[in-house]
Amino acid sequence: MLVKDYMTRHPLMAEPTMSIVEAQRYMGENDIRHLPVVGDGKRLLGLVTRQSLLVDPGRLGSLDIWEIAGYLSDLTVKDVMVKADAVVTVEQGVTIEEAARIMVGKKIGCLPVLGEGIVVGIITEIDLLAQLMKLMATQEAGVRVTVRQPNRTGELAKMVSAIAAQGWGILACGGAPAPKDPTKWDAVVKIRNAPREEVVAALETVEDQEIVDVREV
Amino acid sequence: MSADLEWTTDMDDHGIKTPILQVDDLAISYETRTGDVPAVRDVSFEIQRGEAHGIVGESGCGKSTVAFGIVNFLGRNGRIVDGHILFQGQDLVGRSQEELRRIRGDRIAMVYQDPMQALNPSMRLGDQMTEVLTVHRDVEQKKAEEKCIQMLERVYMPDPANVMRRYPHQISGGQQQRVVIAMALLNDPALLIMDEPTTALDVTVEAAVLDLIAELQRDFDTAIMYISHNLGVIARVSTKVGVMYAGELVERASVKDVYLKPYHPYTQGLMRCVPRLGMDKTSSYLYPIPGRVPSPKNLPAGCVYEPRCDYAREECRLKKPELREIEADRWARCHFAEEIAQVSWEPPADLVPDLAALEERDEVTETILEITNAKTYYEAPSKQLIGGEAQYVKAVDDVSFGVKKGQTLGIVGESGCGKSTLVKTIIGMEEPTGGEFEFMGVDVSSPVSQRDLALIQELQMVFQNPDSTLNPSFTVGTQIGRPLRRFKTVPGDQVRAEVVRLLEMMRLNESYYNRLPRQLSGGEKQRVGIARAIAGRPELVLCDEPVSALDVSVQAAVLNLLLEIQEEIGTTMIFIAHDLSVVRFFCDVIGVMYLGQFAEIGPAEAIYAPPYHPYTEALLSAVPIPDPSVEQKHIRLSGNVPSALNPPGGCRFHTRCPRRTEMLSDGGTICETEVPPERTAEDGHRIFCHIPLEDLRQMEPVVTTTE
Repeated sequence: MLVKDYMTRHPLMAEPTMSIVEAQRYMGENDIRHLPVVGDGKRLLGLVTRQSLLVDPGRLGSLDIWEIAGYLSDLTVKDVMVKADAVVTVEQGVTIEEAARIMVGKKIGCLPVLGEGIVVGIITEIDLLAQLMKLMATQEAGVRVTVRQPNRTGELAKMVSAIAAQGWGILACGGAPAPKDPTKWDAVVKIRNAPREEVVAALETVEDQEIVDVREV
Repeated sequence: MSADLEWTTDMDDHGIKTPILQVDDLAISYETRTGDVPAVRDVSFEIQRGEAHGIVGESGCGKSTVAFGIVNFLGRNGRIVDGHILFQGQDLVGRSQEELRRIRGDRIAMVYQDPMQALNPSMRLGDQMTEVLTVHRDVEQKKAEEKCIQMLERVYMPDPANVMRRYPHQISGGQQQRVVIAMALLNDPALLIMDEPTTALDVTVEAAVLDLIAELQRDFDTAIMYISHNLGVIARVSTKVGVMYAGELVERASVKDVYLKPYHPYTQGLMRCVPRLGMDKTSSYLYPIPGRVPSPKNLPAGCVYEPRCDYAREECRLKKPELREIEADRWARCHFAEEIAQVSWEPPADLVPDLAALEERDEVTETILEITNAKTYYEAPSKQLIGGEAQYVKAVDDVSFGVKKGQTLGIVGESGCGKSTLVKTIIGMEEPTGGEFEFMGVDVSSPVSQRDLALIQELQMVFQNPDSTLNPSFTVGTQIGRPLRRFKTVPGDQVRAEVVRLLEMMRLNESYYNRLPRQLSGGEKQRVGIARAIAGRPELVLCDEPVSALDVSVQAAVLNLLLEIQEEIGTTMIFIAHDLSVVRFFCDVIGVMYLGQFAEIGPAEAIYAPPYHPYTEALLSAVPIPDPSVEQKHIRLSGNVPSALNPPGGCRFHTRCPRRTEMLSDGGTICETEVPPERTAEDGHRIFCHIPLEDLRQMEPVVTTTE
C-alpha cells in the first residue's frame, strides 16, 4: 500500500500566469480543492488551495471600489500560491500511513507527489479515507464485530482461529488501542457469509475477550 | 446520511471526474483556393482518465484531422472553426501558441504511424531520447540516460544500453515504434494520442506492441486516443470506440456493443465487408459498401451516409441526423437507428452470390505450375575491404510446390520472408539461383526479357500499390489497351470495345476510358490494374498484396471482383497477403513462409486448424479479431525475423519457436542442427517440423468461439 498506487495520477494543474479568477472557476467547475502550480516540465512551483484564493479583507480596506476591481483582476496564481519551498510533498514510494502521518502532523489536506522533482500525482485526505473504506471492506456485505481483548501477543490469533474453525472468511481486519484503556486492544473484523447469531456465539467462547459491537453492514 | 446513500458510494469514484479530454461539437476546416473544406464537423466525444478510446474509420474520414486539431498541428491552412477541446477541463481552442504550450506542455504526447518519420535519422537514439528530458526538465545528462534506459526496459527493448548508441536505421520497425512509445512516455503524459501506430508493422510485432500499449496504459494511468482503420486492433486495446464517416462521428459506444449490435448502417456495413477469420469463399460472401465516401467539399444535404445507405428514405435526404443517445452510453447518428438494428439485413438482389457455382468447380487435377527446389539469392557485398567471399541473402531457399489449374494459392508470412521474391522469380523479374520452374510444361526459369511473348501473356501480375504501377500520364483506356495490342488478343479495331468490356467487368463504365489515374480513387485504380493484368487472358495471375493498400469497404469489392473473374475466365492465382483472414477467405491452398522457406503448406481449412506448424500457430494467435465472443490463445514470438543473410541453422524458426522446448524430448536441440523433415498430413497438407504430427495434432485450436 504505497502512495504511488493510491494517488491520483495526472492531476489537474495550473500554470503560474493563470489569473485567480480563472483558477477559482477551474477549481469550482472540476470540483477540486487543490491545484498544484507547475512550470516547464511539470516542475512544482507552488500549490493553490481554496484558502489561497480568499482575499485578505485588510488589504482591500484601503482601496476604493475601482482599485479593488483592478487589484483582483491583476492577481495571478503566482501571487497567491503557497510557494514550492513551503509545500509539503512526498515521494511515490512511501506508505500511505506515512502520507497520513505527514498530513495529520502538518494539518494539511493534500500532498503533491513528486518523482525526481516532477509532479507525478497528488494524494489527498479523501484518497486516504477512500482507502480506509476499502480496508474495512465497506463495499461488501458481512457481519462487522468489534472485540475488546487484552493488549498482549496471541489474542488476535485466538480470535481468528475461532473464526477459521467455523470455516468463515475474513473480509477485513483491523486493530487499534481501546479508547481510554491502554491495557486493552480493540480488534475489528468483517466476516463474509455468516449469520450474526452464530458469529456472536463463536466469538463469545474466546477467553478474556468481549464483544463490544456487532452489526450487519 | 441515509444508509442507502452510503452503499452507493463508489470508492474508486472519489477522484477527479473531469475527463482527460472532452471534445464538443468540433469542426475543423482547411482553407483552399476553392474555398473552405470542412474536413471535420460536429465531432463530440470524451476520454476519461486511464481510458483507451478508439477512433475507427476509413481513410479520409477525418480521424487524423481530429488528432491534429487536439495537438494543434493543423498546418498553415487548417483551423478549428467551431467547438471546444477541453484538456483536463481547460479549453485549448482560441489560445495563443504560447498559452497552448503552457497548458498542454508535455502532458499530451503523440505516436505516429511511421516510426521512422518520428525519429531523427541522423541522431543516435540515446541523444534523441535524453533530449526530451534535458531540454524540458534540465535533467542532468547522466541521469537522463539512466531514465531512458529504464524506459526502454519498460517497453521490453532487448539490450537497451546498446540501443541508446545506435541510429534509428539500425533497429527494426517494431523496435523503432517501441523507442517512439518510450519517448512519448518519458514525460508521463496524461493523454497519449496514437495514430495508426501498428499499421506499418507485421502481425506478430503488432500483437506484441498492442499488448505493450494495454499494459502501459494500466501502469501509467494514461488516457489513450487510439486511431485505426482496423476494428480488430481497436478491440484489442480500447474499451470504447467512435466510428467516423466523412468527417462526422456516426456511432459511439463500447467496443463490444458496436460489434454485437451496431446501430448505424455504416458500422453495420463495415462489419459485413471484413472477412472474419474462418470465413471462406464457398460458404460466405463479403458485402462491399456501394459508392464511396463523399468529398468534404461536396456533402449531401441530409445524412452524409444517405447516398450509400440501404435503408435511406426521404427524411434522410432532407434532414441531417443528430448524434443521439439511443441506449445508455450508445450514441448513433441515424434517424432510424432503432428500426434498422431490429431488421435483419438482406443483401441487395444483384449482390447475392452464387455460392453453389463456386462449390462445383473443384476436382481439377491438372497442375499448371510446378516448382521444385526454387532458390533465389541476392548477392551482398563482402564486408571486407579487399577480397573476401561474397555473401548471399537467401530470399527464397529451397521451395517446392505445385498449383493446380483454377485454384488460388495464398502465401502468408511476415515481411522479409521472401513472399514477393518468390512471385517475382516466377514471373521472371528476378533470376532464380537454382531449381526447376515448370509452367504448363514449359521451363520458365529464364528472365522475362528472354521469354517469348506467348509466355509473358500467360503470366501476369497485380501489384500492391496501384498508384505507382499505373503510368500517370496515360489514360485508363490506353493502359488497359496496351496488353491487348501487344499480345494481339483481339484485332486492332476491336481493342476499344474489348477495353470497355473489361471495364464493365470491373464495374467501371465507359466514361472511365479517357480518365487519367489521378482522377480515380484507390479502389478504382486497383480495378484498372486488375483489368490490365487480365486483358491478355492469362492462365496465371500473380497478386502481390492487391488489397492491403485499400480501405476495407473497397477491399471487399476488389476481392469479390477477383473471385468473379476467376469464376468467369478460370484463371489460376497466386495471392500474397499478410492478412490471414483475407487469405483464408480467398484461397484454396495456403503456404506459410518463414525466412525463405515454407513452414507449412496445405488446403486453407487445414492450415487454420490443428495440426499447426508452431509458426502458423503464433501467426494465428496474433491476428486481431474484433469479435468479443472469440477467444484467442496468447502466443507471442520473441525477437525479430533473423537476417536472411545468415539464417539460423537447422530449423530456421528454432530461434523464436515457442513450442520446441516443451514438445520435444531433448528440449529441441535437434532443431538447432537438423533441417526439419517434411511431415505430410491428409490432403497434401505438409508441415516442416521436428515435432511429430501426432503431437501437433494434439494442440488446441488457437481461435475458439465462446457463446
